[in-house]
Amino acid sequence: MKKGVIAKTPKQALTRSCSKQTDLSAWKASALQMTGRRNEQKLSKDKQQTTSENADPKQDSLEEALSYLKKAKERTPLKNEVLQKHLVTVEKIAQEKGLAPEELDFLLNIALSGKFAEVVSTRLLKNLVPTSAITADSVTSAVSWLCVGKCSRTTQMLFLKWLIAMFDFIEQKEQVNALYGFFFSLLQDEKLFPFACHVLYLITRKKNVKPFRVRKLLDLQAKMGAEPPLQALLLLYKNFSPEMVSITLPTKTKIQFKNSENPWKMAISNIKRRLCGAPPASQPSLINTACPQTRKRKWNNKLVLPACSVQSSCSAVSQRTHHIDLIVHSDAFPVEQLQTFPQLLENIHCLELPSRIGSVLANPLLLHYVNCVSDDSVYRRMYYWMGQTLREECPWHKFENQPFELEFKDFLRKIFEAECFLQEGFSSCEEFLYRSLPFWDGYSCRSQVLQLVTWIPLSTFSEMKSYLFKPLAQLFFTSSLYFKCSVFESLREMLLNWLNWHLMQTDTTTKLNADLLNTTLSGLVSSVADLIHFVGWLSTVALSLENNSAFLMHFILDFYEIVSDVYLKYNLPLVVMPPAGVFYTALLSMDSVCLDHLCYIMHRYRANLISAKQNLQAKKTVLQFKFSSQTCQEYNQYITAMVGCLWTSNVFQKDFHHQGIHMDPEVLEKTRVKGYRKSFNIVYHPALTGYAMLFLQEAQPEDKTPNFQLIQGRRWEWYLEYLYSQELRGLKLFIESSIHRASQRSQTQTSK
Amino acid sequence: MSTLAAFGKLPTLNSATILLVGTNEIFQQQLAETILQEKQDLKINIHLADSLPLPPERDHIRPRIDLIVFMVNMQSKHSYSNIEASLVHVDASFFLGKVCFLATGAGRLNQISIEVNAVLKLADLYCSPVLFCELECEKIRIATAQRLLRMLRICAGHMSGVSALSFSSLMKSSIGDSSFLA
Repeated sequence: MKKGVIAKTPKQALTRSCSKQTDLSAWKASALQMTGRRNEQKLSKDKQQTTSENADPKQDSLEEALSYLKKAKERTPLKNEVLQKHLVTVEKIAQEKGLAPEELDFLLNIALSGKFAEVVSTRLLKNLVPTSAITADSVTSAVSWLCVGKCSRTTQMLFLKWLIAMFDFIEQKEQVNALYGFFFSLLQDEKLFPFACHVLYLITRKKNVKPFRVRKLLDLQAKMGAEPPLQALLLLYKNFSPEMVSITLPTKTKIQFKNSENPWKMAISNIKRRLCGAPPASQPSLINTACPQTRKRKWNNKLVLPACSVQSSCSAVSQRTHHIDLIVHSDAFPVEQLQTFPQLLENIHCLELPSRIGSVLANPLLLHYVNCVSDDSVYRRMYYWMGQTLREECPWHKFENQPFELEFKDFLRKIFEAECFLQEGFSSCEEFLYRSLPFWDGYSCRSQVLQLVTWIPLSTFSEMKSYLFKPLAQLFFTSSLYFKCSVFESLREMLLNWLNWHLMQTDTTTKLNADLLNTTLSGLVSSVADLIHFVGWLSTVALSLENNSAFLMHFILDFYEIVSDVYLKYNLPLVVMPPAGVFYTALLSMDSVCLDHLCYIMHRYRANLISAKQNLQAKKTVLQFKFSSQTCQEYNQYITAMVGCLWTSNVFQKDFHHQGIHMDPEVLEKTRVKGYRKSFNIVYHPALTGYAMLFLQEAQPEDKTPNFQLIQGRRWEWYLEYLYSQELRGLKLFIESSIHRASQRSQTQTSK
Repeated sequence: MSTLAAFGKLPTLNSATILLVGTNEIFQQQLAETILQEKQDLKINIHLADSLPLPPERDHIRPRIDLIVFMVNMQSKHSYSNIEASLVHVDASFFLGKVCFLATGAGRLNQISIEVNAVLKLADLYCSPVLFCELECEKIRIATAQRLLRMLRICAGHMSGVSALSFSSLMKSSIGDSSFLA
């Protein structure tokens, strides 16, 4: 165990320095390290072996087994005990610790050379679990064995499966890509066909897409029908060069490759578990990709650029082409050499994204690139990879992932950051949320999941309701106050994202968004309106469940602050008033901040409605204006109640809202509250009496018992000034805009 | 056949009673302990049973039960059929918001022996919500215990303005129709 970790240290250092993309010196250092890496690795391994020769008997037995396998005669009978013994050793070590690149290479050769019986080959192949990486040379030699035809079809199939499973571990993928023709020829074989498709799907680059290959694939499709793997491959081809593939393909195929649980995955996760041990208890979230040291790079390397992939081939190419032509050189710019923004600008025409598409997520430069390429294939690759990873790593879908919750959190966080960067949600992430929220316990990765929810793109509400809002609401009702608040927070963010998206749409109509534009404005408006109504319903219920908590109210009012300004600020023809359950609770709240916030929101509603009405009269507005006389009426009722409450002290008579606080004088007399009429004006309102008290103390310090009745006439004005000076800006805006002081002054003074 | 009645007894002051029904005793025990560890201003009684009906002889000392939680282990067909059989012994009035299902083990999809849909269907049939959770993990257990306690408070009438029936209709309206849409 120990040995494996130590042998890997140089690599770890390498990844960490690489992740600092802008640091050139770090890059140089890592490049140096890269060249020296192999030697170093060997060195450290040798060192380790000499120091702990006796401490590691397993290592010796593996070497023994390997040398036996090397020397053993061809076609050694299966029942040979020595053979069996050595096979067991290999199996055991491979499953426990994994194999080093050289060991792996050796065993792969043995397995594919057909030296032993097929059963043995199968056993060996099934145990080819790498500890660090697989060299491209191993793959090349393996392929050469396949060409010789020494092994059976089943073994070949198993090899392809292995290759697919291990694809992320292969170094120098350029070299594997050179074998493209060979893998393509495997398509002929019916049994190998789906796996060959998958391999090709993984290694295809733009340069591989040739007319003769397209023709062949189309022939195959005509022969075999629309097989999902073939369709996926064709789609990829079409993405690379649409002009060659003229047929129409279903664009939204779900999972194109059957990815049944393969025998290696288990072993890998076992080794991973053993090496990491328990995940670090509370790792403060690191900003860059630097993994905590306890983690082993190779298992977490999905987000790291494959730094060493093209190194050797690239240097050769650059030497050769240096004096010939720059254009030839610009065939492909290795992404791992991309360090600065100017570099990106210079090479943007010849960038080729890394084989490990996930590394793009953690690289802001590549995200810039992804953001501006019109190439659909990037998204398709991302979609496939991300969907797969999310499915497999999700801790509440697969319980065995539970110990790696921290890593998953980190992964989700990175997706979220990339989404923020791109200002766009990933569709695979959306699907993941839809699929997994019903089973979510509401605890694991809570903040990350709720963050991801905010980037769910706008779609028809009925769809979202059953997949997203239904499970979310169920969790919401049974969860704590804090969960409720964070749900409101993320729904608010979601609304903001939708509105911003709409703003962008009206600003720019690029080709990229053409298909998105199909969602007409009326569809958008009704979706947004539905979301607002849903939140209104949710907040009414939440307030009654949480005993009108002021804390919760802040989050709800934050949401409505955006809603009130949808028309003016986001140019969306929509005005939706908050439900009575929210309005009256805020109006009669004990908390001055809530009241102030409500005042501000009502002020914004007023501004929006007035401008909407003006535009309506000037016929400037669009036809689908979702703003009816009902909204206006509702606003008027609210404003009457509010003015009656805070200012004119006649709310119990003048409130006409059917859920309002209109009450008959007889009923109010029975309560025996003195001066009930004034009990909610700005002096007596439970949220503001504190201010009134302080005001009186300041005005008349000698009076021990504050007499609120003194606040009238000129003092009323002073008191108002005092309130304004206490940062109650919403109240100020509201009173200044919605109350006509001049006409009402006499009235208010008589009412006191 | 004696059925468990929801309103057969008077409630006791300042206390609420929850009944956990399930075949996995360890989980039951652990969950019960976690529930008791939560700080509450009312007394929580927990009754454990592996199946219903409850033995009639001690019925007179048993308090009124406010919430029944059926714990379905997704990995065991036995637990499912046991719950199915037990449900018969519950009075219909319980299903007005005082029953909930707790599905455990849904996170091991490869070892699952009951389909997720079957559980969802069963819960739908009995108009009750399902909570999914993995009880092995302590933090999730605590979160689940808190959720159950919230429901219990409502079912026992300790939350002003919300009754078990209104709560269950809330949980359902989020399932079925579009009643919350204006």
